[in-house]
Order: sequence, then structure tokens, then C-alpha cells
Amino acid sequence: MNDHSQQHPDGVSGVDLELKDVTKKYAGQQTPAVDGLSLHIPAGEIVMFVGPSGCGKTTSLKMINRLIEPTSGTITIDGEDVRSQKVDDLRRHIGYVIQGGSLFPHMTVAQNIALVPGLLGWDKKKADERVDELLDLVSLDAGRYRDRYPRELSGGQQQRVGVARGLAADPPVVLMDEPFGAVDPITRQRLQDELMSIQSELGKTIVCVTHDIDEAIKLGDRICILQEGARVAQYDTPANILAAPADEFVEDFVGAGSSLKQLTLARVSDVELSPWTTVTVGESSRDALARAEQAGHSSVVVLDSRKRPRGWTWLRDLRAAETVPEPRTDEILGVDRRATLNDALDDMLTSSHGAAIVTGRRDEFLGVVDFATVTQQIQDAGEAAEREAAGTA
Amino acid sequence: MTATVEEPRTTEPAAPAARRRRSRLSREQVILLTALPALVAITFALWAWWRASADLDSIESRQLAWGTLANLTWQHIKISLVTTAFVLVTAIPLGVLLTRGRFRRASPLVVGVANIGQAAPAIGLVVLFAIWLGFGFWTGVLAFTLYGVLPVLRNTIVGLQGVDPTLVEAGRGMGMSGAGVLFRIELPLAVPVIMAGARTALVLVVGVASFATFIDAGGLGALIQTGITLFRTSVLVSGGLLIALLALLVDWAGRVLETIARPKGL
Amino acid sequence: MWDYLVQERADIAFGAYQHTSLVVQCVVLATVLAFALAVLVTRVPRLEGVANAVSAIGLTLPSFALLGFLLPLLSLGTGPAVAAVTFYAVLPILRNAVVGLQGVDRTLLESARGMGMDPVSTLVRVQLPLAWPVILAGVRTSTQMTMGVAAIAAIVLGPGLGTYIFSGLEQIGSANALHSALVGTVGVVVLALVLDLLLLLFGRLTTSKGIRV
Repeated sequence: MNDHSQQHPDGVSGVDLELKDVTKKYAGQQTPAVDGLSLHIPAGEIVMFVGPSGCGKTTSLKMINRLIEPTSGTITIDGEDVRSQKVDDLRRHIGYVIQGGSLFPHMTVAQNIALVPGLLGWDKKKADERVDELLDLVSLDAGRYRDRYPRELSGGQQQRVGVARGLAADPPVVLMDEPFGAVDPITRQRLQDELMSIQSELGKTIVCVTHDIDEAIKLGDRICILQEGARVAQYDTPANILAAPADEFVEDFVGAGSSLKQLTLARVSDVELSPWTTVTVGESSRDALARAEQAGHSSVVVLDSRKRPRGWTWLRDLRAAETVPEPRTDEILGVDRRATLNDALDDMLTSSHGAAIVTGRRDEFLGVVDFATVTQQIQDAGEAAEREAAGTA
Repeated sequence: MTATVEEPRTTEPAAPAARRRRSRLSREQVILLTALPALVAITFALWAWWRASADLDSIESRQLAWGTLANLTWQHIKISLVTTAFVLVTAIPLGVLLTRGRFRRASPLVVGVANIGQAAPAIGLVVLFAIWLGFGFWTGVLAFTLYGVLPVLRNTIVGLQGVDPTLVEAGRGMGMSGAGVLFRIELPLAVPVIMAGARTALVLVVGVASFATFIDAGGLGALIQTGITLFRTSVLVSGGLLIALLALLVDWAGRVLETIARPKGL
Repeated sequence: MWDYLVQERADIAFGAYQHTSLVVQCVVLATVLAFALAVLVTRVPRLEGVANAVSAIGLTLPSFALLGFLLPLLSLGTGPAVAAVTFYAVLPILRNAVVGLQGVDRTLLESARGMGMDPVSTLVRVQLPLAWPVILAGVRTSTQMTMGVAAIAAIVLGPGLGTYIFSGLEQIGSANALHSALVGTVGVVVLALVLDLLLLLFGRLTTSKGIRV
């Protein structure tokens, strides 16, 4: 796609990242902020740094792009010491995404995204193309948004542009500092889903700081749970951490043992979707009613012409109209199939229809997850955990 | 179907178009931008009409001859502009310096001293400089520069400090150099505040330039001085009026420039 | 220089006293005027922009030019000095008083009304104390600024230290010119500093502990 990216055959464009005995001690402080952190981050994985505030997770992250210089220890990217290059060059080849996007308010969306390509001396045409490509990647219409200023965007859109900006020069490593901390829960869930889909396409090495354990479980290939002084409490896959927390600290922190937590582990795509009666905007109400009644549904899912779910409608509302009415908002409903069952449960509770709509590529309607499926999953997970416990005892 | 539906997943509402188009000017700014030039134009027209039709004695008509007035006004503008240029080239770099690294700690001290200095009456500075350097244009420029530095210095520092530190860190984190961040992020974002300081300084300088006449550096202050010494009310009031109109006009021009030069995204 | 100070100490002290007295009286007068205007302005929302614009225009007018207008109206002497100093003193206080009064949380005003306080006592017992720090900041700005205006007022034979500056100007070439100009200029700076400190102290004493920063 881009000549500067080193596409691995397996779709991984990220590289290995290694921290060896990294320590940061601030002048005048007794205990080091980061105390001998050693960590291997495999190429193409998302590693989540999570821990209580003040545990040194952000400091650890910022030492990778040398916004904070370590007191001792080495950090290597693809085997190369980060201190062997000029600091600005190093940073130009590491993506950096910050809470709220941190877009420069006096620059347009396109200028923000094209900043690092500009610093790297790309010609304008190539940078322009890259901007459009990235906007498309983060699901923003390039024609509509490239010349807008950040204040003309919603929080979620700003954050999308922030992600696009971080990916602009196609860096093998991307650092994210609480990337979705500043948006509302529903938007956050969307952004997380999108990040996962982008990652499945690009295969970057991503290091992401969060304080939200659910986010860590959802996004992370591995989670690094840090205690004060950035001491690693446990570094493992989400499933292993939930199944076998290393100690009491981890157990408390992840709230493991609760079978509800397993919902953040299971994806919507892991369970079987149920069909639901769908109707298309503008279709005759009579036909729609007939199908719904035959299926025994008291409500239907309204789709637009591109099969994207636009809303739930009760049958009694359908009876009142000749044809299926236009939905009142531009909103597209539902959770992505990559979303967790936890997200689906949230959606279900807010929609009050006892089921969550699931969407696939281009937001196309795939089916619904109903309440029974989710409760079954909780039960199964609970039983599995008990068996596990009995097995180890 | 509306246009928004045609694109994928932009479900959160964008900032409404209305908010984007709504005038970003406050009522006060609107009044100042429109009423100021009107006030200046009407007052000047009335004064010019009086000047053309009034019955003046020989002293008055000599002092208020059109040529003399034009000359005095030009001198006034010249010394004000030269001074302001001096103010900008000293205060802005100094302000930038005082927000960099280790100099940052000195900035409260410098601003504090400048604040105290601002309490010094301009006329006092002019006289002291004249005692030191003798009369003349450049003495005036130097004294007025000292007087006009503070607002620009203070606003440069405040403007740069007002830039969200996470933006600076974002810039550095993306690999922009220190100078790159300064010129492409910090200064553009501080422009509105710095320009307001520059306008304040320019208006102050136009005002104190009235004292230039005391050290033979010309300007419209001459009319007030002659008016007082020769007891000619018409000359006195004309002097006061023209200086005031010039100050208001300069203030207006500054505000127009600020409105135009403001970075679009802010 | 020292000899000059010793020799002239009585005159200098008197000048300083006159200068301070002029500024303090005018600022007190201006505070009352500005507060009254601010109350009016905050009651009639449309006036706010106008008041701010007038105050901005007022601050644009050079003091020397204003004295030029006032002289014929009020003749030579203290009259124009008082008028000019008060005029400038009103502007920053007015601006701050409007901001301060509007900064008072509306729910507090409603609860005051709800408790049965009449508008006057709401103003005096709730709004004024809460807006006081902001108003006082305006008073400090005014005082600093009018110290300089008062010095210029000496040209119209108003009282104060400004006369030393002008006599310094007139005597340029003689030995006393520098002494005189220094006394006038530095004297004003010192007075301004002292007054500012006093106002700071006054502010601490008169601001409710609950809102002190």
C-alpha cells in the first residue's frame, strides 16, 4: 500500500519492542516512578498498560518515545536502541495518540494529519492522498471532513482524527495514552470497535495506556497490570489474567471471579446470532406487519437502503402508517460484531427491546443477540470457571 | 434520505452548522468595530467644518493651518509607528525567551519589574531620557519604547503560557523540533493575545507621543502645549481632539487586524 | 541627590501627600460611581456591551488629550485634574464590577430571594461581598493608572509630584533638573507601590475568608 511500510507476509507491519530494566527516578523523590521495568512486546500486538493512577504507566509509555528520558535501562524498537537516533527522528517514526485527540485547533483536519508526513518531507500530493486514505480508515468522509477545523467536530470525530494522525506516517509502533478517555461510553465503545478493525487490517505494535480494565480486556492481545513504581503485577493475555490472576492485587483490580467479567472476554461474533424481522424504510407497512406477526415479533428493526440498522419500531407504530417511516435521526444503531458481550448487554439495556442489534462490515445488519443468549453465556462461563477452580484445587 | 446517511458511521452529531456560522464577535466587539470609525469620522467632520468656517485670530490660524496640522499628524504617526516597531522587536522575542526552559523561572520577576515600571509616568521617563540623551526624535522613541514594552511582553508570555501544554507535548511527541512547535503551534495559537497586546501598546504609544513636543520631537502634543501657554482654547481643544481621534482610529485598525488575522480554527 | 532630598523634604512630602490625596479621593469616588453603573448595567443586559465598549473607548483616549478638552470647561487648577483622574479611575472598576457581579452564581441569588431577602440586601449582602475581590482588582488597576494621570495633570497646575517632572523639564541644563525629574518619576512609582500594597492588605481584610484564594 505504501512503499515506506514494511509489510510482513502475515499482515503484521509492527515490530518488536523491548524494555530492559527501565528505571525513571525524578530528582527529589525517594522512590522511582518506574522501577526496573522489563517487558517484551511482540510485533503486531496490542499491549494494554493498566493500573491505578500514579502507578507509572504513562511515564513508562512516554519513555518509549523519549518524551521522558529513562534514568537507566534500555528500550529497543526492532532491536535498535531508541537513544541511538535523534529524538525528533525517532518520534516521527512512532505514532502518538493522546486523550481527546489533542488536535491543533488552528489547523484543519487534513493539516493535522499531514503534519508528520510533512516533517518527513513527503510531497504534497502523496500526503494529500494519505490523508484521504486515513480518513476513510477511521470512517470519516474525506470530502466532508478534511477541511474542517477541530472545533467543528464532535468529540468522537476529533478522537478519530487523532488516531488517523497517529497512523499518518505508517509507523510500525503506535503509542496511545488514554485514547478514548474523553468521550461518552457509547462513542467509546464504537471507537474501540473501530480500533480493533483497523488493527486487524494493519497489524501495528500498539502500546496503550488505560485505567479502564474493561477497555484493557476488550482491546488487548496482552495486558500488563502495573503496580506502584510500574512493577509488573501480571503480564498475560486477558483470558489468562481473568482465569488465573497472579495475586490478590490483580484479582481485586480486574474483579476476576465474577462471571460477568467473562462477558468482556467473549465477542459478539463468538455467540450465535438470532434472526429478527427487518423492514426497509419506505416499504409498505402491511407487508412488514404480516412478516412480523408470522415470526411472532412485537417489534421490528428498521433498515435503510444499504441495510444499515436505523431503529427499532413497535408494531403498533407500524399500524399507524401507510409505509415504514423515515427514522427521526441519522444515527446508526447496534454494536459491531467485534464488540464484547458486555457492550451488547449495555446496548440491550438502553434499547429496552431485549436484544441488541449486531452489525458487520459497512454497518450492515447481521442479526441480533438476545438476552437469553447472554445469560446462557454467563452461566457457561460460570460453570467453566468452577470446573477450573475444582480442577486446580 | 439526508446526506449524512450516505457516509459510514458518523453517528455522533457533528457540531451544528449554526454554531459554526454564528458570528464569533461579542456585542462589545461589534460596537467597537462599527461605532468607532463612525464616531471618529463624524467628530472629525464636525471639527473640520468648524475649522473651515470659524473666525480665527492670527495665532490660531497659524497654529491650525492645514499644512501645519498635516505635518504634526505625520510626525505623530511616524514616531508612534517607529516606537511600536521597536516595542515589537524587543518585547516578543523577550517574551518567547521568558517562556523557554530555564528562563521561565525569571518571567514572574521580569513581569513584576515591568509592572512596577509601568507605574512610572510616561512624561517622567521622557524628561529623564532627555536629560540623559538630549532632545530629539530618537530620545522620544527610546522613552516611549520602554513605556510600550510591558503590554506586549506580558501578553506574549500570557499568550504562550495559555497554550494547552498537551498540545505542545503532542507536537513534541510527533517529532516536531522545539523551534517547530514554537513557530507552528505555540505562536499561532498565541497570536490573538499577542496582537491584543500590540494594539494596547500602539494606543498607549500614540497617547504618550503627545509628550514628544516637550523634547522637540514634534507631534500633535504641540497644539496642546501652545494652547495652554498662549491661552488659545481652540488650539488646545483641536490638539486634544486630533490626538484622541488618532488613538481611536489606531485602536480600531488594530481591532480590524486582530479580527482578520485570528487563526481560523479558534 | 541626597542633599536635594533633605533640602526639599518638606515640599516633596507635601507633593506626595497631595498626589496621594488626589488619587485616593478620585478612586474612592470612582469606585462608588462605577459600582452604581455596574449595578445598572447588570440589570439591563443590553447595556453591558455598550458599557464595555464605552470603557474600552475611554481607556483609548490619551490623558493629555483629555486634559486638553477639560481645561476650557473647568479652567486651570484642581478641577480638570479631579475630573480627568476620576474619569480614568471609573473605567477599569466598571469593567471588573460588571464581570464580578455577573460572576455571582444565579442559584445563590435565587436562594437569597427565596429566603425573603429584598433586592437591596441581596445586592449588599450577597452580590457585593462575592464580587468584591474582582472589583478590588479593578480598583488596584485604577490606582496604578491614575497615579500616572495625576502626574500629567500637574501641567494644568493640579497638585502633586507631577510638578517636579515639569520643573525638571524646564530646568534642563541645570544641576537640579535631574534631581527634580527623578523625584517626580521615582516618587510616583514608590507611591504607586505603597498604595498597591495597602490595597492588597485592605483586600485581605475585607474579603470573606470563605472565598479568599
